[in-house]
Amino acid sequence: MQTAHKHGGDGHAHKAAPTVEEITDFEVLEIAVRELAIEHGLFTAEDHRRFTEWAESVGPAAGSRLVAKAWTDPGFNARLLEDGVKACKEIGIDWAEPTGFGTPSDYMNFRVLEDTPRLHHVIVCTLCSCYPRPVLGMSPEWYRSTNYRRRLVRWPRDVLAEFGLILPPEIEIRVEDSNQKCRFMVLPVRPSGTENWTEEQLAPIVTRDCMIGVALPRPGRTADVHPVHKARRPVQSSTQHGRAAE
Amino acid sequence: MSVKRNADLGRIPLLEAIRSEGKAWDVIAPRYGVTNPDPPWKTSLMAMCECLSVRGALPALERRQTEDELAAAVYGEVPAPERKLLALVHTLLRRGLVVEGDLASRMRTVRSRLEAV
Repeated sequence: MQTAHKHGGDGHAHKAAPTVEEITDFEVLEIAVRELAIEHGLFTAEDHRRFTEWAESVGPAAGSRLVAKAWTDPGFNARLLEDGVKACKEIGIDWAEPTGFGTPSDYMNFRVLEDTPRLHHVIVCTLCSCYPRPVLGMSPEWYRSTNYRRRLVRWPRDVLAEFGLILPPEIEIRVEDSNQKCRFMVLPVRPSGTENWTEEQLAPIVTRDCMIGVALPRPGRTADVHPVHKARRPVQSSTQHGRAAE
Repeated sequence: MSVKRNADLGRIPLLEAIRSEGKAWDVIAPRYGVTNPDPPWKTSLMAMCECLSVRGALPALERRQTEDELAAAVYGEVPAPERKLLALVHTLLRRGLVVEGDLASRMRTVRSRLEAV
């Protein structure tokens, strides 16, 4: 992605550089350990090519399409809630990719959690970082942080508030803990002001955070930008500090 | 209740040297005006983790648990995904799947290759 930015005192704008002009030891380390692993027979170069291509192909746009279609097609909504993996195939998302039985980290049991005006879902993986990657892509770093994982299940309203999502007390919050056997995604309530919108118009407002449950869709909101709020009850250790939305 | 520990938390000189250079992506990218939030090797790292798991060398759940332990005790101040890379290599070295001397040697070879003009 290239975007214009400004720097220096003259305030001129130019294209952002595509990458850095130096080779770091982190980059060298990743290549070296991969080459040795392949030479030692821990996996093959073909394995790596296949998983790399798969990882580059998944992203939250698939989940956005799922939600937009569910909002506009009651039949699809019902099928999505009944069997998430099967419904995904209707829009070209195959949970069996790239091996024929999914990846070791993406078990083929996908459940969609439907919000209502009185019930809000949010997902987490307290054990590790389970995430519905075929429909949402790679998980954000904060989702894998111990602060989010440990604190969301204890103080969901506080943690959601740190993301800028303040829910009134009459709305029940249900935290769904992903695990080795099941992946979850949130189907938010369709916002008012979108009554005559098409799927194509709706999909952009269904951002990744809306499908995790730390944000709500609304007209005009098409990107996940987190406010910086100091954590209440942060997890304290010698190395872990701060807020969930880090 | 005691918690079973998976990771050998002893520090590894090669990885300590890399860490101490302070060349994580979020440090060097702004120096070059790069706005991509991820280093170019991140996807390859994620794929490597999947490969190790699907072939049984390092199951995903074990890797994540050791990564948590190493993040808390050894690599906590290193930003992701560099922390993930260091934790993965740390685990492979401690399990004898890769040897530190071989890795250091291969890193020299790789660097020479990348810097060749």
